[in-house]
Amino acid sequence: MDFKLTKEQELIQRTAREFAEKNLLPQVESIIEENRVPDAVIRDLKDLDLFALFMPEAYDGAGADYQSYVLVMEQIARICPAVAVIMSVNAVGLAAVEIFGTEAQKKTYLPPGCRGDGVLSFAFTEPGTGSDPKQITATATRKGDAYILNGTKRFITNASFAGPIIIIARETETGEVSGFIADKFCDGYAISEPWKKMGCQGAPLYDVYLKDLAVPAENRLGAPGKGFRILKVALALGKIGISAIFLGTMLAAYEEALRYAREKTHRGEPITKFQAIQMAIVDMAMKYEAARWMTYRIGYLADHAKDKGDILKDSAMAKIFVTETAVDLARIAVGVHGSYGLMKDYKVSQIWRDVIFGPQVEGVSHLLKVLVAGEILKG
Amino acid sequence: MGFVVVSDHGKEEAMNIVVAMKQVPDLKMIRIRDRRPLLEDVPFMMGEIDRSALEAGAELREALKGKLIVLSAGTEPLEDTVKEALAAGADEAILILDEALRDGESALVAQVLAAALARMPDVGIILFGEGSADNYSGQVMARVAEILSWPQVGYAREIRIEGGVAQITRSLEDCEELLEVPLPVAVSVVAEIRQPKTPSVTGILRAGRKPKTLWTLADLNIGLNGGAPVRTISRLAPVSSRLGQVIGSVDELVEIVKAKRGPS
Repeated sequence: MDFKLTKEQELIQRTAREFAEKNLLPQVESIIEENRVPDAVIRDLKDLDLFALFMPEAYDGAGADYQSYVLVMEQIARICPAVAVIMSVNAVGLAAVEIFGTEAQKKTYLPPGCRGDGVLSFAFTEPGTGSDPKQITATATRKGDAYILNGTKRFITNASFAGPIIIIARETETGEVSGFIADKFCDGYAISEPWKKMGCQGAPLYDVYLKDLAVPAENRLGAPGKGFRILKVALALGKIGISAIFLGTMLAAYEEALRYAREKTHRGEPITKFQAIQMAIVDMAMKYEAARWMTYRIGYLADHAKDKGDILKDSAMAKIFVTETAVDLARIAVGVHGSYGLMKDYKVSQIWRDVIFGPQVEGVSHLLKVLVAGEILKG
Repeated sequence: MGFVVVSDHGKEEAMNIVVAMKQVPDLKMIRIRDRRPLLEDVPFMMGEIDRSALEAGAELREALKGKLIVLSAGTEPLEDTVKEALAAGADEAILILDEALRDGESALVAQVLAAALARMPDVGIILFGEGSADNYSGQVMARVAEILSWPQVGYAREIRIEGGVAQITRSLEDCEELLEVPLPVAVSVVAEIRQPKTPSVTGILRAGRKPKTLWTLADLNIGLNGGAPVRTISRLAPVSSRLGQVIGSVDELVEIVKAKRGPS
C-alpha cells in the first residue's frame, strides 16, 4: 500500500493548481456573475492538456489516468467549481463514447471533445421521473435510417455548448432503453433559459427539449437496449468527477477558515489561540483527509477496473460521503468566520452556496444509498 | 534575425545550452519552530529562478539549434526532481548523484559541475539562477566560470546570441549594463528574465522517458580532500512579532505610516 503521489502526479497536480490560481482566480467573480465560463478558459485548459486527461493521445486526450484526473479536478474546483463541473460532464460523455462507441463515432466526437471545441453533454434526468433509470419517458422511434427522439431532459450541463449530446431514451418498438449521440442545435433540439442556481454558477443547467429530433441510426451508442450499461458506467465515472469537485471545495473552505483564524484577532491575539477554534480546525482537517483518500481511491479503482461500471458501488459511497462531509466542513468554516461568513465579501459564503449542490446532484444521497444497500444486501 | 553561431568556415554549428538546476525544499511547506526550519517530509522541487533560467534557455535553443540540457548535482531524490525540468522543456538531463553531495556547499558543487561541463561537448552557454531559493549564496556560477576559465556574467535580464558572441543585458540595482562576451560563457539570470511556463500534462508524462545520464563523483575523478571547506554554523529565521495595533480608519493609518516614514 502506497499513499505517496508519484512525481508525475505531483507535477500534474501543481500544473492544475498553477492554472487555477493564475487563470481562474482573477475571473471567478465574473464567471459567477455571468453564470458563464469564457471559451478562452476551455482553450487554456486544453493547451495544458487538462481538459481531457484520461482520454488517449490518439484522440487528442492527454493519455493520463483517472488518478491524475481526480487530482486535477480537486485543484480546479478549489478555485472555481463551475469549470470543473463542465469538465466532469464532458469527461463522462467522452468516456461513454470511448467505451461504447464505434470507431467512426470515436473519430468524429472524441477529438473535438478533447480539444474543447465540441463539448459533450449527457442527458438522462427527466422532469417527471428524476434520475430513476427504470422510469425514462423520452422515446426513440426507428424510422428508416434514423431514430426520431422526443421528450424533455432536465438539469443538463453543457447543453449550450456546440458539440454532441448523449441522450438516453426508450425505444418505442422494444420498450428497451438505448443511448444516442445527437449534435446539439440540430433540428428538433431546443433548450430552456438557464435555471437560476443558488451556487456553482458558471456551469448553467438547462432543460433540453427533443421534438422529432432525427438521429441517424449509425449514431446509436452501443447495442440496442444497452442503455442501462451506458448509464451504469456514466454514473460510476460521473461520481468520480463530482467527488473530486466537492473535495476541492472542502480544501478551499478549510484554507479560507484557517487563513481567517490566523489573521482575525480577539483581545490582541489570533483566534487560533482559542480552543473552540482549534477544535473546529481539527474537525475540518480530519474531514478533508478522510474525504481525500476516499476520492483518490476511486480514481485508483477506475484505473484498474476492466468494466468501469463495476466501481459504481464504491464511487457512489465516495460521492455520498464526500459531498455530505463537504457540507459539514463548509458549515464549520462559516462558523469560524462568525458573522463575516455570511457576507458575500468573504469567499466562504460562496463555498457554502456551492457545497449544498453536492448531495443533490449526480444522484441525490438517498437514492444512492438505496443503490449501495442493494449492492451490499444482494444475494 | 537569427542567432545561429557561424564558424570561421561559414558553416552553422549547433551549440548546446545547459541550465544548472538546484533542488530545493518546497518553501511553502517549511514550518519554523524555535526559529529553525523543519525540513522533515518537505518535498524537493526545482527552484523558481531555475525555472526562469530554463525558460530563457528554451528560447536560446531555437536560436542555437542545439539541445537544452539540464545539469544538476545532489543526492538520489534529484532523479525525481529533474522531471520538472524535463517536463518544462529540457531535452535531456545529466545528473551527478553521490551521497557525498548531501547538503553540498557551493565550492564542492561548482567543482562537480565544472568537471561535468568539461566532459560535455559543444556547450555554448550555461545558465544559473542568480541564487538558490534555499541558501541564496549565489556563488556557484562564478566558481564554475573561474574553474573553467570561461567569461562570466551575473544578473542577466536579456540574452541574445549571434555569431559566436552573446549580448547580455545585466540588471543592476540602479542601472542596466549591456555586455558582449564570447562563447562559451557562464551566466546567472534574474527571475524577471522569463516567466516560468506551467508544464502541460503530456509534457509531464513524457519527462520520464527523456534521456538521462547519471554520473558519480568517481566518474568525474573528484575526490573529497578533507571534507567541505564551508561549514554552516547557524540558520535562524528572523524574529517577527505582531503589534496587535487596532487602527480605526484609513486616515489614522495614513498618519501612522507618515509618522513612521519621518519627514519627507
